[in-house]
Amino acid sequence: MEAGPDKEYSRKIIHIDMDAFFASVEQRDNPELRGKPVAVGGGSERGVVAAASYEARRYGVRSAMSSRIAKRKCPHLIFVKHRFEVYKYVSGQIREIFAEYTPLIEPLSLDEAYLDVTENLKGMRSATHIAQEIKYKIKKATSLTASAGVSYNKFLAKLASDHRKPDGLFVVKPGEGEAFVANLPVEQFHGIGRVTAERMHQLGIRTGLDLRAQTEDFLRKHFGKAGGHYYKISRGQDDRPVEPDRVRKSVGSENTFERDLETLAEMQLGLAPLIDDVWKWCERTRIFGRTVTVKIKLNDFQNLTRSRSSLLPIKDYAFIEQMAYDLLEENFPTPRPVRLLGVSISNLEDTQPYEGKQLTLNF
Amino acid sequence: MKFVVSSSVLLKQLSAINGVVSTNPIVPILENFLFKLEGNTLTVTASDLQTVMITEIEVEAGDKGAIAVPAKLLLDTLRGLPEQPITFNVDEETFGTEIVSDNGRYKLSGENPIDFPKTPSVNRGQSVELSSASLATAISNTIFATSTDDLRPAMTGVFVQIGTENATFVATDGHRLVRYRRSDIKSSSDTSMIIQRKALNLLKSCLPSEDMVVKAEFTSSNAFFSFGNIRMICRLIDERFPDYENAIPTNNPNTLTINRAEMLNSLKRISIYSNRTTHQVRLKMTLNDLSISAEDLDYSNEANERLMCEYNGDDMEIGFNAKFLIEILSNLTCKNVTFELSAPNRAGLIIPVEQEDYEDILMLVMPVMLNTYA
Repeated sequence: MEAGPDKEYSRKIIHIDMDAFFASVEQRDNPELRGKPVAVGGGSERGVVAAASYEARRYGVRSAMSSRIAKRKCPHLIFVKHRFEVYKYVSGQIREIFAEYTPLIEPLSLDEAYLDVTENLKGMRSATHIAQEIKYKIKKATSLTASAGVSYNKFLAKLASDHRKPDGLFVVKPGEGEAFVANLPVEQFHGIGRVTAERMHQLGIRTGLDLRAQTEDFLRKHFGKAGGHYYKISRGQDDRPVEPDRVRKSVGSENTFERDLETLAEMQLGLAPLIDDVWKWCERTRIFGRTVTVKIKLNDFQNLTRSRSSLLPIKDYAFIEQMAYDLLEENFPTPRPVRLLGVSISNLEDTQPYEGKQLTLNF
Repeated sequence: MKFVVSSSVLLKQLSAINGVVSTNPIVPILENFLFKLEGNTLTVTASDLQTVMITEIEVEAGDKGAIAVPAKLLLDTLRGLPEQPITFNVDEETFGTEIVSDNGRYKLSGENPIDFPKTPSVNRGQSVELSSASLATAISNTIFATSTDDLRPAMTGVFVQIGTENATFVATDGHRLVRYRRSDIKSSSDTSMIIQRKALNLLKSCLPSEDMVVKAEFTSSNAFFSFGNIRMICRLIDERFPDYENAIPTNNPNTLTINRAEMLNSLKRISIYSNRTTHQVRLKMTLNDLSISAEDLDYSNEANERLMCEYNGDDMEIGFNAKFLIEILSNLTCKNVTFELSAPNRAGLIIPVEQEDYEDILMLVMPVMLNTYA
């Protein structure tokens, strides 16, 4: 789709992102944690930080960091156990607020979503007013703050919500996108990860402006298909629609064990609940996959992943279980003791042609 | 303990509450009816722990006592007996129960009535009186749309909201939704609850065919219904019902009005040719013209029909699971229905054109994606 200026600016997109979500929920529910560096996640030696409060971030604690490193960076860091039930409930509350404005909600995770409010249920003209109202309602309903970004496409809305965090609201108006992007370092762009950013740095590309100076051919040559996307976003363009039924590519569950596993029996025991989790999801959504993958992380952090595919979507628990156990057994004995196991299902049926998919109410 | 009762009266009353007795209950005592005799009144209780049903029967006695009697054995016996007075002799020491008829004697080993679970008491609940016909209609209009997914317990029941103006019954399985409202059921203050599907099915099947007053009472954990000589207490589903009002789209510019029976019959024929797992049918609408088609690529079967209708809106194509449409249209009784649609990926509303003044029925169904829309 070639986006002329009219078309390009015709949409109103909001990106809402809760501020330090899990950690803020914990601080809300436990006054003793307020104002202190808090990490949600396993406090044990093996755990991973799932979320860090702003106080903890000041010490360089980040989500997905191992608990040990986090503790080193911030020795008085307080670890709290996650309470996913509570986060899910709050997530439901904020989605209810979104749904007052538009059915076009694309959740990215429990605490983050894109909203297309071009046509909204309240008939409001200003997306900025909607964003303000949503922030106010979230605060009122949950006592938590969110940051909002408003713009004419998803890419800019997401950058905008990041711009004034926490409790921020930033608008990138039509015509301002290119200039806004020019000043930002490329690693802040959603979709450019650590590895891609490094490659860009090697090519002398550090900011949006540097990226814009490249030809599309050059970017495609170095980054393949994604190069075309980079070419567009460096100009503040992004025509991806807000998709309420975002298609998942895989579903998985994994667990880091308290103690390294060594025997096959222990590993089978560790694998069983993970298979259960994945199967429950398949059953609930009626989406089935063709490929089963078992991930084995050794205690030296080396990952082994093994998968096997069936020709048809697997709609049978026993079949998934069998495939997962086979994959595990074929890798036994493992070269070292096992720290983490994971099971996932991919090649989901819905990634096949969309035809015939029964749509579901957005509850 | 001893009493005499008519075999057919007993059979009729036991059959009314027998639905609650499950064949494989959590505790074996629940395979029994609990008999409690006081003067000339025999109170019989059946329970599955979630739902309790109680009936009272006039008998000839002068005695007092209690016994738990195996439900299946007793019912099978009664079904085989010609109508006559039968005598129950119960040994409350051994729980042995003897039935004496003109034909002979039958010995059943009962169980200790003390083991039967206690019936939850309902007091200080909110009470509502309603007609059995209204209640039966409300149940049959909604129950088919409930979910069987135990992972989403809230949706396995019917959401009932009784207010000062009317009562609303809502059921959904995430693919379709029914909102049934009546202005002849109301209460002095607002109350809402989720009632289990099984309890409502039982209630519906034992509501009398002639219209009578049903007394209902609700507490935060139980609903209580009584009519004739039957009482029912069921545990409510303690979950939050989805925000259904927000799921009902309000801006639906495309409307299709059509004879319900014609559309229903057409769908039944076309669906034979649809894909066997998705049951997908395609509705194509242009000004005052509807075409319904289906194809099953696996077997190269296809079918297509054109129907007269009144259609206002943009030309559009939308896919649905034919089973859902058939179920919805069969549950309605009106002559004509209106489909209100907005887009091929948004919910479609189905609304009866002719409704009683006191009724407001809205059915919603989510579409199936067509390959022409991506």
